[in-house]
Amino acid sequence: MIVVDGTLKRRLGAWLLAAVAVLGTFLLVEAYTSAQRAADRAFDSQLEAASLTIAEAIQWQDGQPVVEIPAAAFQILATDQQERVFYTILDTGGREVTGNLDGVITDDLRQAAQSAAVWKFATYHGTPIRLYGRELKSAGWESVEPVQIWVGHTLSGRDALARDLFFRALSRFVAMVILTGLLMWLAIRTALRPVRRLRQLIRQRDADDVSPLNAQVPGELYDMAETLNALFERQREGRGALLRFTADASHQLKTPLTGLQSTSELALQSDRPEDWRRALQIVHDSSARTSRLAGQLLSLARLRHADEGTPGRIDLAAVLRDTVMEWAERDAAQHHDLGLAPLPDTPLFVQGEPWSLREMIGNLIDNALRYTPAGSVITLDLERAADTVTLTIEDNGPGVSRDLLDRLHQPFERAGRQDTEGSGLGLAIVDSIARRHQATLTVHSEPGHGLRVTVRFPLLPEEDPA
Amino acid sequence: MMRALLLLLLSLMPSVLWAQAPTPLHVEAALDRQVVAPLLARFQQLHPDIDLRYHDNSTLNVDKQARDADPAPDVVISSAMPWQMARVNEGLAQRLDSAAARNWPDWAKWRNEVFGFTFEPIVTVYRLDLARHMMPPTTHADLHTLLKTHQDLLRGRVTTYSPTGSGVGYTLFQQDARYSPRFWDLVAAMGAAQVSLENTTRNMLKGLTDGTYWVGYNLLGSYAMHWARSHPDIIVQIPQDYALVMMRMAFIHRDAPHPAAARAFMDFLLSEAGQKTLAGSTPLFSVLPDVVGPYTAQRLRDQVGERLYPIPINASLLAFVDPMRRDAFMKRWNREIRILNP
Amino acid sequence: MRLLIVEDDPLIADSLTQGLGPLGNTVEVFTVLSEARAALAHSHFDLVVLDLGLPDGNGLTLLAEIRRRGDATPVLILTARDGVAERVQGLDLGADDYLAKPFSLPELQARVRALLRRSQQRTDNRLRFGPLCFDPASGEVTLHDERLDLPPRELGLMEGLLLHAGRIVPREQLIDRLFGFGEAGPNALDLYISRLRKRLQGSGVRIRTLRGLGYRLEDDPT
Repeated sequence: MIVVDGTLKRRLGAWLLAAVAVLGTFLLVEAYTSAQRAADRAFDSQLEAASLTIAEAIQWQDGQPVVEIPAAAFQILATDQQERVFYTILDTGGREVTGNLDGVITDDLRQAAQSAAVWKFATYHGTPIRLYGRELKSAGWESVEPVQIWVGHTLSGRDALARDLFFRALSRFVAMVILTGLLMWLAIRTALRPVRRLRQLIRQRDADDVSPLNAQVPGELYDMAETLNALFERQREGRGALLRFTADASHQLKTPLTGLQSTSELALQSDRPEDWRRALQIVHDSSARTSRLAGQLLSLARLRHADEGTPGRIDLAAVLRDTVMEWAERDAAQHHDLGLAPLPDTPLFVQGEPWSLREMIGNLIDNALRYTPAGSVITLDLERAADTVTLTIEDNGPGVSRDLLDRLHQPFERAGRQDTEGSGLGLAIVDSIARRHQATLTVHSEPGHGLRVTVRFPLLPEEDPA
Repeated sequence: MMRALLLLLLSLMPSVLWAQAPTPLHVEAALDRQVVAPLLARFQQLHPDIDLRYHDNSTLNVDKQARDADPAPDVVISSAMPWQMARVNEGLAQRLDSAAARNWPDWAKWRNEVFGFTFEPIVTVYRLDLARHMMPPTTHADLHTLLKTHQDLLRGRVTTYSPTGSGVGYTLFQQDARYSPRFWDLVAAMGAAQVSLENTTRNMLKGLTDGTYWVGYNLLGSYAMHWARSHPDIIVQIPQDYALVMMRMAFIHRDAPHPAAARAFMDFLLSEAGQKTLAGSTPLFSVLPDVVGPYTAQRLRDQVGERLYPIPINASLLAFVDPMRRDAFMKRWNREIRILNP
Repeated sequence: MRLLIVEDDPLIADSLTQGLGPLGNTVEVFTVLSEARAALAHSHFDLVVLDLGLPDGNGLTLLAEIRRRGDATPVLILTARDGVAERVQGLDLGADDYLAKPFSLPELQARVRALLRRSQQRTDNRLRFGPLCFDPASGEVTLHDERLDLPPRELGLMEGLLLHAGRIVPREQLIDRLFGFGEAGPNALDLYISRLRKRLQGSGVRIRTLRGLGYRLEDDPT
């Protein structure tokens, strides 16, 4: 059965979506952080510039740092975004020389700035700000003591720039996704064209057409086309085999039917009731044989041309008991001593299909019933070995001569016993079924001491491994 | 029974009565009440539901109020631009998000928190008497030359702002010093002329009117022009080399107890109606270029050309309130003003 | 006895009518499911012989319908294919017996007789086979209308065989019936069987041993 498991378009779309989601998350996180970084870089450089401008204005007078804060420094600090600006200049002792940043610069920050410039996000009365502090080793006539310059501003410009950069990255990404989706859609359409062509080709074929495909396909579809061709090839072979078998079978059926026809014609030409009776007897026997033949042909056809059921764990002992029981009930068995040797108590599991095992046992019993005289003893048995189980059927009939034994497996071979009724298909069916079960069939006979047929199956472990 | 009557009374009272329960609005301003009276009246007329309480005060007091008053004033107006800027930079203002605020010219506002809403040129004022003795000064250089050449005649008859007593004066001198180093020559020359330092333009105008002073430097043009209308012997001269322009800056206090009323007031100041009143009924010039009236920035520009130098409303103003820079400036002022004294 | 035969092949239908009629039955033949369905809905039959492959559907659907409405009429299924799956499905659906084509007429007659006997027992509790009769209510066994005095174990054995008269009764089933689970050895059963055989000698019925399979109560042809 063919189950529609989504469409390729949808599947590829889902993959694209997943890729976009994963990649998108990654890219957007990256874009966000890099936008933040870029904005910080841009604005940090303003802080640095402002700090430099202030540093330029520091002079020493009477051992004290004196700054005439340049107005430009504030312009730089404020930036185009009109940030609020903060600054302070600390002398060596940490006292504020001038500024408007009281209390924000902690001793820790001050000490950190002594060794290297400090960048920090801080808050000024609840407002987040960016701080930059560095120490200036100023040289003066009287003193070489360092001073610290701290500058800072609010973050609206950074946020705005980061937002802007991020949204630009976002829109680029969205545009890319849309473009990719569009291209993908086109690509799928183009890529599926050969599939459609192939479908068209197959659809246009006649039901009976099993010739190889004649089509141009891309590399990826070559396998499928090849597989299709192989399938057609197998179908061709199967049809051939089926035709041959049907011809064989119809030939087999024609023979007894011809007999029936001639017998009945002869009887119709006769006026004597004894002739009628004899003819009717022949008709009866022949029709019974023919119907059995038809049944066996069907079995053989099933075995060769159909996959019925899936093999499973089968208790061969139970199947044997059932089948023998069924046969023992039949009229055909009433004049024979058909019996079962004592079977082991435990189940004997083999890998197989119940119907074909029954068919096999039935055929074995049928053969024995047909090719032995009334009153013969027929016994079925199961013997268990380490990893095999052997099914045996034994009779005390006349047996078969040694040179005929090997040909018994062939269909339509009656082992030279043309006199008795039977098609010769029985052992062929048994052989087929045995092969299906990886079992080996052996036929053993001593003329005058009956026939012994064994089928050795591989035994499954008692416990189901599953 | 009484309660039922009261309820009936309440239900009969028109809703207008409720709306008229006036919202107080406290404006703390360094801007003479009588100068802006028409503006305030127009506001009251437009907003009868707001009870406007307008306190005019010196720039220093206004700044003190903005910093320390509890409850804080709703709106702070001052001409001491660096101090206003410092308060806004400290975070004392709140943002005004209105159409008027957004449309306000960029050069006259900062962070949409503080707005310069007037346009007042800084002028030199002299008496007619002066013109009888010499060519009246039209530029800063002229004034410098005059002070040097007529030192004896002008001694004691020159006045200007005290940089210590007036925030406006200090700001103007700082800005002058930024534009030209020759400003200090002018200070030295004024020092030599034994300049009188006054705290307000009004005092200077009074001195000029009563003949104490012959020439005044760096007066608020708005007041001076208004004054000159009624005092024909007073001549107002917008310097022809460069003229500073001062703006009154207004902001809504962060802790304003009546923010809605404050926003209404600010919106009015920035609105066409407010600016029209400003330009038409007060000596304060309007900032907006399309407002028509005797006192507009545009008209001034047409008269004086492109020599108007508004004191920019931006972070550079903060430099003027830096204590150390102020100290340095005052030190130099004090040195320069005495340098030519005998 | 009223028999309903559902069979589309006229030759087989004809031989069924001919073969089953002489047993004392009225036989009605239908060739399609729909007619058979209508007949079953309106009148009572003692047995249905049902072919599976019919022109207007599978006979199993009719079987399922019959059983679904609680009709316990015995059903014997005929089919051309000796498929285990179909047989199991048929028995699962409530068929009483099953015969694969080609079948021999005597075998069919035997099965039909057995089914009718069982069907009859639903109204008459007595079990009969040939000259044998067992009344479960009184526990009385008669042979040719003469009372047989049987000890309890033999009586149980007789009942077990009679219940499935004509069919093989597995040894295990009889042992369980007589001795309960694992109480006596298999030899004990043989003992009681041989005692019963002696009683039945020359009566026209016999107990046949089927090696490894069980025992069958059947007509004695001798």
